Amino acid sequence: MSDSLGALSGIKVLDLTDERGIYGVKLLADLGADVVRPEPVAGDPLRQRGPRLKDQSLWHTYFASNRRFVTLDPNQSEGSALLAQLVAAADIVVICAGAFCVAEARCPQVLEERPDLVVVDVSSFGDEGPWKDYLAPDLVAGALGGAAATTGDVDTPPLKSFGELNFMVSGTYAAIAALSALLHVRGGGSGQRVGVSVHECIASCLEHVLMWYLYQDKLAGAKGPHLPRQGSLHWSNAYKVMTAKTGSIMVTPAPDFEAQMFWLVEEDAQEDLIDPKYLELENRPLMVQRMMEVLHGWVASKDAQALFHEAQARHAPYGWVLPVDKLATNPQLEARAWFTDYVVAGTTLKGPGAPYQFSATPWRIKPAAEVTTGTPGEVLAAVGWAAEGGGS
Amino acid sequence: MSSQATSPRPLDGLRVLDFTHVLAGPFATRTLADMGADVVKVNSQERAVATNDPTHPYYLMWNRSKRALSLNMSNPEARPIAQALAEQADVVIDNFSVGVLDRWGIGYDTISAVNKGVVYIQMSGMGEGGPWSNYVTYAPTIHAIAGLTQITGVPGREDIGVGFSYNDHQAGLHAAVAILAALAARTRTGKGQRIDLSQFETGVNFLGPSLLDWFANGHAAGPVGNDLPYDELAPHGAYRCQPAVKGSTAIEDERWVTIAVLNDGQWEALRDLLGRPEWSLNANYETSAGRYAHRAELDARLGEWTCEQEASAVMQRCQAAGVPAGVVQTGVDLLENDPQLAGVGFCEPIADTESNFGQTWADRLPLHFAQTPCTQYSRVREVGEDNAAVLADWLGMSAEEVAAGEADGRLS
Repeated sequence: MSDSLGALSGIKVLDLTDERGIYGVKLLADLGADVVRPEPVAGDPLRQRGPRLKDQSLWHTYFASNRRFVTLDPNQSEGSALLAQLVAAADIVVICAGAFCVAEARCPQVLEERPDLVVVDVSSFGDEGPWKDYLAPDLVAGALGGAAATTGDVDTPPLKSFGELNFMVSGTYAAIAALSALLHVRGGGSGQRVGVSVHECIASCLEHVLMWYLYQDKLAGAKGPHLPRQGSLHWSNAYKVMTAKTGSIMVTPAPDFEAQMFWLVEEDAQEDLIDPKYLELENRPLMVQRMMEVLHGWVASKDAQALFHEAQARHAPYGWVLPVDKLATNPQLEARAWFTDYVVAGTTLKGPGAPYQFSATPWRIKPAAEVTTGTPGEVLAAVGWAAEGGGS
Repeated sequence: MSSQATSPRPLDGLRVLDFTHVLAGPFATRTLADMGADVVKVNSQERAVATNDPTHPYYLMWNRSKRALSLNMSNPEARPIAQALAEQADVVIDNFSVGVLDRWGIGYDTISAVNKGVVYIQMSGMGEGGPWSNYVTYAPTIHAIAGLTQITGVPGREDIGVGFSYNDHQAGLHAAVAILAALAARTRTGKGQRIDLSQFETGVNFLGPSLLDWFANGHAAGPVGNDLPYDELAPHGAYRCQPAVKGSTAIEDERWVTIAVLNDGQWEALRDLLGRPEWSLNANYETSAGRYAHRAELDARLGEWTCEQEASAVMQRCQAAGVPAGVVQTGVDLLENDPQLAGVGFCEPIADTESNFGQTWADRLPLHFAQTPCTQYSRVREVGEDNAAVLADWLGMSAEEVAAGEADGRLS
């Protein structure tokens, strides 16, 4: 059943994104789409993003994986012609407002000429509204989108999540937009533009935040429409990172509070939790609070790694807090051969593998391609998009 | 399809058999349902407790726009119905532990022998195989073991992490990507396939550049607060503003604004906005590297400026000057004060309230399809509310047959 081609083999994607959408194109490229990413003659500014190996950006290696790169100057006739031909040959164009070549690509006009074209247009705030021209790098996007208000602790400012996790949400939505619109075309429908607002994307992925506001009357313990940041303590009050004797561990008595109680009793660590008052339904929030307090003290004498495995043997969803270096030797990732090879600056090194595994159409990382330069004809021939107007 | 008539949507006609629960899986199928797929959510009276109870707010958030079928899978007599449904499905999705659907006789190998085009996706915590394969996970578990908890926070601490179930949402969205890609492949090959999505691996993937950094340079990234991990940018942080209630020190009343200066030009603009005070003319601040090296004192100075102002005023003044800035918005801000979200009708009450749920709401799919808009959402359904319609549409069962199944407990 194995097929050496990726799931998206044969689908041509033109990548005109910046940080807001590049992860979405990566998802398509790693699944086998044929992706061309133009860049300025002076080089893609994203090639300057750290971390680096020698003169190579590892940020670019990861986010711009599996692309073919071409240089062009959209303000020169040859560059303009090349860009037009790339758009004409693509099945999907993914753009970020203000990114390189986006204005010159004239996607709105091409959509009128190419009824089968899919254009995914990622912007910070959409097309209209008082904030539509606001500048929003990941820190600002996460703040306005609602992610920062619920991240951090009482003694820290609101925090952004590490790196650019907010833009990885908008990127993933961009991939969904591209593929669902493409399937609509393949099913006989027309192509179209799909607008993707980073702001809306972030706001749609906040777990409890909207729920807390909308259904506060149904949530035990909700004391208002907004739950301020509270470190690692989950909104349910039943999951929290605790400090063990060695290391840190996310501890929870959920979902089987009774099993957790038995475990504490086994170790004579139950303190006052056997008080019958904690069995009363109306005292459940009190029981959860008290159990977390007891667990705090109990965990402090434990080794985080050993406690994690013992908890999991009891089907308790504890989580050992792991840093990056520990992930590199994680036995689960190793057993599933998760890490994959990347070739960077002539060096082969391990790096992140697939976010999902397909049984018949492999996900893969190919060695980074050289940048292609030349006349439009030469470039199109080199990337294999010559004289195939109208997409595949 | 949903009883609520809609204009054409991109996934119209797609049949999804949904065995998911909690957040990650239901969010995947909610996304597909919002785009027109006929998602049949399988639940049972026996399992409809806690977050599996349709009246629970968590369930209300992630299960709109689906049809509800009750199937008591603990009753072996119900399983042939599940098998028949799977044979009609384009997509079968579950986030049980590995092997549950196989034990029910509706695993991929069984169904794909009959339904060649079916796409199966399993969204387990750890994926199939490996020493942790049977480990039980929720989003806080995944955040911890995938590195997201340790790396999101401030230096010297590893007990903060992302303040919401980021990975559940992302696992759901990645499942949607995977399903759509497998369907695209099917248009080429005519065949479906099986997808093994490990929520752990999806989460580790988000540390991509830092993993490469470790393997290339032996550098293990750690928490950096509001900095970017590999860019020397300052000011780049959250700054306290006037509280919502004058004089209040309660955390609920705190107001903050983020400011992110990405280059010297934006620093120059911010300095003009500040009125070019003497401290800002310090030569240390002329370059990005200099500002980053002295960011603690720079942040303190900037905080003195912001704390006398309303957060929204700081944002507006900065943005007008070309300096990226944004209020740290709470859920209340998003749903009451945000003009962008209000402008697109981001969160609207669902008109259909004919159930014991009372008023429910839908936050819109953040994808604006020009030709196939996905802006109509139907309410969450009671367990088994759509038994008759689903089983008639998918299997051609009569109302009498459905009633018999409900009476004998198979459809309960």
